[in-house]
Amino acid sequence: MKRLQRDSVLISLIEALRDRGSWCGETHMQKISYFLQELLEVPLSFNFILYKHGPYSFDLSDTLAQMEADFLIRPVPKSPYGPTITIEPTGKRFREKFPKTNRKYKGAVDFVAKKLAEKNVAELERIATAMYVTLNENSIVDVSNRAEKIHHLKPHLSLDQAIEAVKEFDQIKFEAQRIQN
Amino acid sequence: MAKQTHEIRDPVHVFVRLSTAERKVLDSKPLQRLRHIHQLATTFLVYPGATHKRFEHSLGVMELATQVYDVITRQDRLREDVRSILQIGEHFDMEYWRRVLRMAALCHDIGHLPFSHAAEKDLLPDGVNHEHFTCEMIVDNDMAPLWDDLHVKAEHVAKLAVGPKDLPETSFTDWETILAEVITGDAFGVDRMDYLLRDSLHTGVAYGRFDHHRLIDTLSILPVKQDGSVEPKLGVEIGGIHGAEALLLARYFMFTQIYFHPVRRIYDIHLMDFLKQWLKNGRFPAKANKLTEFTDNEIMTGILKASRSDKIKGHSYARRIADRRHFKLLYERNPEDIKKNPNATEAIFEKAVEKFGHENVRLDIIPAKRKGYDFPVLTKDDRIVSSTMVSEMLSRIPPADVGYVFIEPGQLDNARKWLDGSREFIISTPGEENE
Repeated sequence: MKRLQRDSVLISLIEALRDRGSWCGETHMQKISYFLQELLEVPLSFNFILYKHGPYSFDLSDTLAQMEADFLIRPVPKSPYGPTITIEPTGKRFREKFPKTNRKYKGAVDFVAKKLAEKNVAELERIATAMYVTLNENSIVDVSNRAEKIHHLKPHLSLDQAIEAVKEFDQIKFEAQRIQN
Repeated sequence: MAKQTHEIRDPVHVFVRLSTAERKVLDSKPLQRLRHIHQLATTFLVYPGATHKRFEHSLGVMELATQVYDVITRQDRLREDVRSILQIGEHFDMEYWRRVLRMAALCHDIGHLPFSHAAEKDLLPDGVNHEHFTCEMIVDNDMAPLWDDLHVKAEHVAKLAVGPKDLPETSFTDWETILAEVITGDAFGVDRMDYLLRDSLHTGVAYGRFDHHRLIDTLSILPVKQDGSVEPKLGVEIGGIHGAEALLLARYFMFTQIYFHPVRRIYDIHLMDFLKQWLKNGRFPAKANKLTEFTDNEIMTGILKASRSDKIKGHSYARRIADRRHFKLLYERNPEDIKKNPNATEAIFEKAVEKFGHENVRLDIIPAKRKGYDFPVLTKDDRIVSSTMVSEMLSRIPPADVGYVFIEPGQLDNARKWLDGSREFIISTPGEENE
């Protein structure tokens, strides 16, 4: 996917998240874009690493800065958590120029928005980390083993929280496979 | 009795002090090589004072990292709710991490190619950058006795020097992440603090100055709480907010005035064109031990020699640099055009190449980077809030980026007339068919 097409998909995601009541700060975009790319296979081409609070992409962060420089989006300070990402009028007009791209990825964008928009940062952190462990630790299949791995990597998450996160991720993965098929 | 502390004069920080064991690191070949690598690449061709080197910058980063560490780990500054992240044990006490941080700060640039960032793009294999070489040099066997003398682990020094972004396969604890942020962080990284102050001094441009003493004195590790998630981050007490604003404004101005100056940028491009022809196989060696044979001195000598003889590879590009016959700015990215087409610069470049030929046109794009304006602030009533809640201006600082098209000087007049007549058509609405 080329740069402007990717920008168009990200604008669609921001709109879908905001429509469903998401705070839509950068952390929300980070975690939900991870799902969009790795689970729904939307080729955004971001490199995600396991950072302080789950999967994180420096590339995505830079892309959001570039989209701001291109007058497509704008971070607006909002109490109490800080900036929420809004779409500029230029961004709305820009997105309309990519109808095929938007149509192609609409199902995936709607799916992640429906499943994740209402989750807060802590919930997104847990479930995205569960996904990271599931995708990157191929030898660990069992729920409790994956939960232990999460607890090891992120000690501030309790084992019970980790188990819940793994189960929830497995359910989302199952549903994602159904819409992809 | 042999001297235990060694002082080095510094134009920014007055004195930088080192222990005998630290001085051995400073005297090592990888560090001494930095005496011959310009901090600002070819910027001295535009701002004549910008002849300072990575060597003194590295000393400055070590000095500032130490100042920050001493403030954020002061007993009265360390909050109870962040003490759990301190990676303190039988072998690793606070003094241990102070030594590691100082050495990581000192070594953070040792992997730089000649002429710093100017020559990095396109001259190394995919996935290899100067941070890669920095790690390789720090963990090299030659450095091992020096780390043993200091009782520090090379792996810890490498992690803090490079940070998590460039070590994606390595896991960082919260403590290591905070310490790496002290050096390379977006908001308060001392690498940036030092280069802004130092580059400002040497170029003679005042925009890079800010009250770093006040800012550093108000830094603190703060727990950012959001919906039950707690993330320790480097933040600032409310008294330092104007210092932080000044730092981030200084960065914006220095990028737009110095680092992204169009003439400096085109000299960097001519340098890259020269190196592609002059270097064996058109690239720098991909091994750190081979790379250390190259400094700016060898490259500059090569440029001067090549400029005098058309028998030497890279002759025409060498002349562009040595004889100041650089390409001229034809087009610069601007808000009006970008609102019509975010790819306006690339579109004009492609059409200019069709019209004037590839050899006569150059494109320079540097995308925007994260701004680092959202950091925690400790208010007077002991609340921790986003910086954007207490500063009206932080989120309004625009991201700095570059979009230039350059043209061969002899073609400039024609190219300007051509662009005047065709600009609107070229940058008209992008869409899927243009992608």
